[in-house]
Amino acid sequence: MHGEPNQLKYTDIHNDVVRSIVETGPNYYIALVTAFALTLICFFFPWFYQLYYGIGAAGMNHPSVWGTYLASFIFWIGLSHSGTLLSCVLHITNSSWRKAMYRSAEAMTLFSLVVAAIMVMVHVGRPWFIHWAAPYPNQMEMWPNFRSPLLFDVMAITTYLTGSTIFIYMGSIPDFAAVRDRTRGWRNTMYSLMSLGWRGTDTEWHRLHWAYTFLAVLIIPLAVSVHSIVSWDFAMSIVPALHQTIFAPYFVVGAIYSGTAGIVTVMFVLRKFMDFGQYITELHFDNLGKLLLVLSLLWTYINVVEVFTGFYSGASGETEALNYRLFGFYAPLYWEMITFCAIAPLLCAFKSFRTSFVPMLVLSIAINIGMYTERFLIVATSLSRQYLPDAWGLYVPSAVEISILLGTFALFTTLFLLFVKVFPSVSMYEVKETMESPKKSPPAASEGSPA
Amino acid sequence: MKNFVVGLFGDPESALAAAGSIQTADLGTPELMSPVPMEGVEEVLGEKKSVIKRFSLFGAIFGGISGFLLAAITAVLYAHPTGGRPIITFPPYLIITYELTILFGIVFTVIGFFVSARLPNGLWTAWWKQDENRPYVPEAAVNKFAVSVTCTSNESVQQAEAILRTAGAEEVRDVTEEN
Repeated sequence: MHGEPNQLKYTDIHNDVVRSIVETGPNYYIALVTAFALTLICFFFPWFYQLYYGIGAAGMNHPSVWGTYLASFIFWIGLSHSGTLLSCVLHITNSSWRKAMYRSAEAMTLFSLVVAAIMVMVHVGRPWFIHWAAPYPNQMEMWPNFRSPLLFDVMAITTYLTGSTIFIYMGSIPDFAAVRDRTRGWRNTMYSLMSLGWRGTDTEWHRLHWAYTFLAVLIIPLAVSVHSIVSWDFAMSIVPALHQTIFAPYFVVGAIYSGTAGIVTVMFVLRKFMDFGQYITELHFDNLGKLLLVLSLLWTYINVVEVFTGFYSGASGETEALNYRLFGFYAPLYWEMITFCAIAPLLCAFKSFRTSFVPMLVLSIAINIGMYTERFLIVATSLSRQYLPDAWGLYVPSAVEISILLGTFALFTTLFLLFVKVFPSVSMYEVKETMESPKKSPPAASEGSPA
Repeated sequence: MKNFVVGLFGDPESALAAAGSIQTADLGTPELMSPVPMEGVEEVLGEKKSVIKRFSLFGAIFGGISGFLLAAITAVLYAHPTGGRPIITFPPYLIITYELTILFGIVFTVIGFFVSARLPNGLWTAWWKQDENRPYVPEAAVNKFAVSVTCTSNESVQQAEAILRTAGAEEVRDVTEEN
């Protein structure tokens, strides 16, 4: 670590980021082994158990044929939304505060999408048939039904995963080159390959700027479409409380909301454990806090609209589903969600709260607990209260489902821990850009300080 | 003889001024290397144009057409009549069209970037050693600003070195000889 931010030099950033990659303490290995062990125990073992004994190991049954697996799928897709989307929006609006945190936020997007895609495989029960969703000529002479929202989902998530991977990679090429020059052995070979021979010429920077901007412009509408399409998995059905026209914006806002909260969590961890306190500052938490406040108000508004239109419709199926959600078996979860996602974030109205790291961490975790609950309630309350009372039922997740849910967090943590040792988790060149350029004279001040 | 004379500068203004002087002295268009994108390069070395947007546009159009055709042709190949609706239905296929428009737009943008930035550079031939036809100074990835001049004679080497030193270069290197 170096001195105050205004004393930072280009070389300091370089050294700090390279150090975060090449120097690994015992705490990192403990964290990695623990996360990997939990992934095996909580995620893969229960999944293999389910594969061996059948999908009956999960608590899903008629009428609740969807459960925590799909709730987790929506949750992780949602969590993926703020990383790349926020990064793209802040890039084209030229917001310099994005630069210290966007790389990790984009990684969050990438790994959340990976976890979400795995959750689909867990949910379908027989993942060895997952290739049936792909359009390829086969001996059955069948093709996927592109009129189904589920196929919309396959296409949207594939595109988003591809776009997010390319976006994070493109932005990292100059930093791979910088790390390449400071490493030896297998690391040097790996970064040489990943940097593609980048030299930092004026032409390369010019081309990167344009390509990166085009990618950002392409990815923003894509991100909006992805969660809209995820919402249509539900809204295109005729189940009460799911057949809602407001679901697409509701899901998009919810996704950005939980994703922004996820970024706060990740930023806290990087700041605390990777020694990036100089780059991830109160300013970032302050701005993210403001964003969380705006998003919480939007999310609350949409929830109020959903309740009001359900009540005002007077349709028996709709009002029954609404009453069940607010006052039925799952009501404690509903009010927990309202507390965590609509009431608690109002604290972000106070600057002293937004700039306090630990309270912001607690709030971000609370918001994501609330957002997971929201996804669970969407799936569980609607399917268990459909039109006919003889089709009503209850859904309670089994131990296998709960374990796999917890395991997804361990899986995400494992992937993220691997990421911070491969990718420069703070963008060196973009942080340097936020600094004043080195000046010609006096010689002692030949390197700049942050603007 | 083809040499690369590279001047290393501690600040971008001096590097830009040196690049301008090199161009004025008719020693060709110099190449700038820097740890961050430099402002004012186009004012000195002239406007840069990129073909990336054409790649993006082509990719988006190609993807859009491919997306619609994929959905429409597969529907015809395995006809699944539903409630008397047409086999090729526009509203759902527009979503597939939209997604593939974006997907191919992204992929072709990356291809356009690689083509126009001439990357990968030396990936398969010499990743352990920089391509000798393209000079590289590792300091330019950290905190220095480099100006590279391609020289074809001893006179031009001497002239370039003199201009770089006059402009305030902290160090002048003959990169080819080093390699």
